[in-house]
Amino acid sequence: MKYLAIVSMFSISLMAASPDVVQYMNELSKTAKAENPSFSGFDAARGKEIFTSTHTGKQGKPMACTSCHTVNLSSPGKNSLTGKVIDPLSPRANPQRLTSTKEVKKWLKRNFMDVYAREGTAQEKGDTLAYIMKN
Amino acid sequence: MTKLLNLSVAALIVVGGICLYADDDHEEHVRHASSFVAKPMTKQEKTSVALYQKECGACHFAYQPEFLPKRSWDKTMNSLNNHFGTDATLDPAEHKTIQNYLAAHASKYDRMTGMGGEIAMRISQTPNFVHEHREIPKKLVIQEAVKSFANCASCHTKAASGSYREREIRIPNYGSWE
Repeated sequence: MKYLAIVSMFSISLMAASPDVVQYMNELSKTAKAENPSFSGFDAARGKEIFTSTHTGKQGKPMACTSCHTVNLSSPGKNSLTGKVIDPLSPRANPQRLTSTKEVKKWLKRNFMDVYAREGTAQEKGDTLAYIMKN
Repeated sequence: MTKLLNLSVAALIVVGGICLYADDDHEEHVRHASSFVAKPMTKQEKTSVALYQKECGACHFAYQPEFLPKRSWDKTMNSLNNHFGTDATLDPAEHKTIQNYLAAHASKYDRMTGMGGEIAMRISQTPNFVHEHREIPKKLVIQEAVKSFANCASCHTKAASGSYREREIRIPNYGSWE
């Protein structure tokens, strides 16, 4: 029953992602549940905190997701090291986003390492995706 | 006779063309870069170039492999988990494709003479690069529109196509470099 609730909660926001990314989020959800029995679904508000808070990054310096992506996900960002423009993260502003699990996995791994100096947990990754979908 | 004349005119044009080309300064690397562009690519090579440009070009200018020798690219590709302070790890199959592409098109020259045995990780460390850019004032390099020597295309307007001719240079907030 609880699992059903999680799935239905997803389906509200999942229009912003392709079926294989939805599938990936379902896998993340199962892992999160296995790692934490009180897990009851991904939460965009927690994702926002993950996305906007500052941490000691891989380089030992303060870093946030917003350092490159900015706080407005509908706007282009800018790589803070190279200056290269980054297309908007929001799937509404940029329909290419959240259409490939391979890309999603690659960037979540890399960027958690860059900002948090560790790979995110399944719950953290799902929360972040939930936040991106809402924007 | 006319035929012979035509031939010699054609020969003159060819020789003249070569002289003109050679006359353009600072072209050593350009010739390497364009020779790779000009050669017809196999389907597999086209896929590799596209992958290289997509993956590496996502964060920075996709430097022509001709700018560094194989051992520099190997060192870079073997340390992508800490690539200039960021995680740039790739899926293993794509990693292999890109590493092979870089090796196949790497500079045939050492390019690191005078570096005391160090393996260059940055093109901007190589003596040829340092020499070519020695007169550029630092403020033009570190300005926001350029940021660093890593952004070839912010001044070399045809860099993406592998051309670095002096007459194509437009430095932001400065202009041509004569």
